[in-house]
Amino acid sequence: MLFPTVQFAIFFPIVLALSWLLMPKQKLWKPYILLASYVFYAAADIRFCLLLGGITVANQIAAKAIHASEDERRRKWICAAAVVFDLGVLGVFKYYGFFTQNVGDLLDSFGLGMPLPLLSIALPVGVSFFTFQAISYTVDVKRREFEPASLMDVGIYLSFFPHLVAGPIVRAREFIPQLATARDPNHVAVGAGLGLVGLGLIKKVMIADYLGREIVDPAFGVPQAFGGPDLIFAAYAYAAQIYCDFSGYTDIAIGLALLMGFIFPQNFRSPYRALGFRDFWRRWHMTLSRFLRDFLYIPLGGNRKGKVRTYINLFLTMLLGGLWHGASWTFVLWGGFHGAGLSAEHALGRRVERVPRWLRWLITFNLVVFAWILFRSPDIDLFWTYVTGMFSGGGIDLVTVPAVLALLAVIGLQLVPERESHSFEARIERVHPLVLAAGLAVLILIVGATVPSQGVPPFIYFAF
Amino acid sequence: MPDDQPKQHTDDSLMERFDEEKLRRFSARDAVVSTVLIALFLLIFSGGSVRQAGEEMDPGVYRDIVLAIGEPAGWVADQLPLAEIGHSLTGWLSPDSELVGATFEEGAAGAGGAVAGKGPSAVTPEWFEGAALGEAVKRKPLETLLVTGDSLSTPLDIELGQRLAPDGVNVVRDPHLATGISRDDLVDWGQLSATQVADDEPDAVVIFIGANEGLPMPGPDGKDVSCCGPEWAAIWANRARQLMTTYAQNGAGRVYWLTVPTARDPDRAPITDAVNAAVYAAAAPWRSEVRVLDMGEIFTPEDRFRNAIDVEGRETIVREPDGIHLNDAGSALAADEVEAALARDFDF
Repeated sequence: MLFPTVQFAIFFPIVLALSWLLMPKQKLWKPYILLASYVFYAAADIRFCLLLGGITVANQIAAKAIHASEDERRRKWICAAAVVFDLGVLGVFKYYGFFTQNVGDLLDSFGLGMPLPLLSIALPVGVSFFTFQAISYTVDVKRREFEPASLMDVGIYLSFFPHLVAGPIVRAREFIPQLATARDPNHVAVGAGLGLVGLGLIKKVMIADYLGREIVDPAFGVPQAFGGPDLIFAAYAYAAQIYCDFSGYTDIAIGLALLMGFIFPQNFRSPYRALGFRDFWRRWHMTLSRFLRDFLYIPLGGNRKGKVRTYINLFLTMLLGGLWHGASWTFVLWGGFHGAGLSAEHALGRRVERVPRWLRWLITFNLVVFAWILFRSPDIDLFWTYVTGMFSGGGIDLVTVPAVLALLAVIGLQLVPERESHSFEARIERVHPLVLAAGLAVLILIVGATVPSQGVPPFIYFAF
Repeated sequence: MPDDQPKQHTDDSLMERFDEEKLRRFSARDAVVSTVLIALFLLIFSGGSVRQAGEEMDPGVYRDIVLAIGEPAGWVADQLPLAEIGHSLTGWLSPDSELVGATFEEGAAGAGGAVAGKGPSAVTPEWFEGAALGEAVKRKPLETLLVTGDSLSTPLDIELGQRLAPDGVNVVRDPHLATGISRDDLVDWGQLSATQVADDEPDAVVIFIGANEGLPMPGPDGKDVSCCGPEWAAIWANRARQLMTTYAQNGAGRVYWLTVPTARDPDRAPITDAVNAAVYAAAAPWRSEVRVLDMGEIFTPEDRFRNAIDVEGRETIVREPDGIHLNDAGSALAADEVEAALARDFDF
């Protein structure tokens, strides 16, 4: 079920009203919200609910077993088995085709046949997000940072519909304590919630989908048909599109959770104002960044084993972070590009600060945009075609006034001083909810009018 | 350019950002009332959209729920002028082109004789492929190619675009997802095809459609005819023929119509069979202008679904996991067929 659809517009008010009605009776509220979340997920494919349930039960069994044991080796092995199970599920559903294709190609070059059966496996939406959350729960229990919760609480944590399909990647210690007591019905961030839902809709439907439809999809679909100026413009347009699409989803998810009385971690902080790769990853998909830091980079040794190992660890972490986005070499290279950038920045140390700030911003922003070309290209051949095409001449068919204005708004708004931009929630909370509701209703009508007859395309991160 | 130093983020979750009292000024009642008010406002202004969304959904409990709300909401919206007011205020924002030309209904009225089955129409020269009768082939340059259809037509459109753009061919990609020839609630292909021709004036049109068919269509007497008997196939064929006539542009354009390969789900077989039979029937009088490209022969010989087929000596997956659409590899094979067919008629 997509957020900006009629189905969700019917689903949410009913679920919200019943949620607050049942909230004082936690024994009723918990099974209710679990059921509502599974109903939300079953709209995609009811079979995927079995997978989500299986992951939940398996990780809960592991967490309980880890907690019950004092033997460190035993704890470690149980945790490793749970993580292997989670990654195995992710591997089968997400990477099986990629793996068999590449192994087949390799063996073919030696004249050997295909060793594994060819299967066409449907990717369960959100699998990358809820498996990572499950891993974080089990590992946090193993690290004694968190005690196992009840199966019901873990079930709600992994399936809670606002974050189920595209994050943010919420840690158990951030969410499960919020289930310990009923949410306070007298202190709800209604203004911020409604404001974020409205902001997310504008970002997704009016900006991201517009840029995708008019600029990005034509240019990245057939780059051979466009000249250099158009391709360069489309690369910047994609940077704006993917930011508005993903942060729009996050805004809606955080806003819906706020209306239900829950708080999610922040996922974006004006990423295109970053002054370096390290700064970028503290601002872009922040919950993935910290997951990779806590569950990959630090276990690999982090920066504790000398300079060279630090660079290797950074590179490997980002390489795997790239692969997390999808089974394609372009994602791996995108991760590698960022890993190389982080390593280079680490190697330069404080010398980077001698570079004027405007130049650091300019370099970082353009390198990030360049890397997005890799991310958006379906394969390396097309990436190469695109990049070489950027240096060709040609007309400017795609550069239109609305597109330029949209791009300037998206990039420009991120460059305003941070204190100003982060007071959005505080300012909007001053407005009476009924006024906000009327405003949001009109906004939805306006946003709805910009949707083409074919409907709203899925969020980009649903594919991951 | 940012004008301040990046902040040092010790804990980047920022979970505390809503802790301040001023950010939680209201109550759960406010949240529920606001949300319900928004929903009611939208139902009154665009209840018809809810009903339409329900009608477009696949059968099942979710559809039943949406329709249970959408039908009364649509009825209320129909009685009030608000939807019309809303549309007149916001209609200019729609990214859809204004459609021109005859709808299927108008097209059927025009072709009443054929629909009513009053007897076979006269055989004309267009029924024959000139080359097969020894006529010299007149090839012309391919300047504009329109690739269209429902979701089946993508990524075929991208594949053809990437292949032909370097030859200077302007490939117009215009897929209309979730639409169908028997499904004119979302878009009427009769009008859409006329609009496409008026906008793009294509030398050739590649159409791959059939993933969303099987819906009842009004017959000659106005009563709905259910899929997938001869009566339904005849109505579908007449609609397809209206498209072929439009795309052929009185001989100025060529049409390349791809049949639908068998789907994994056996329940879809009667629909696919009826659609493919209707395509051949519709194209029969237009052999000189409409080429039917048989995808079943390539992907599902003997009408048997295959996930993978032999491509250059190696088993390759050619279908998407849904068992309906072609994946990139499958679309590349389909593009081979289209390209070969285009090369017989055009220089590029």
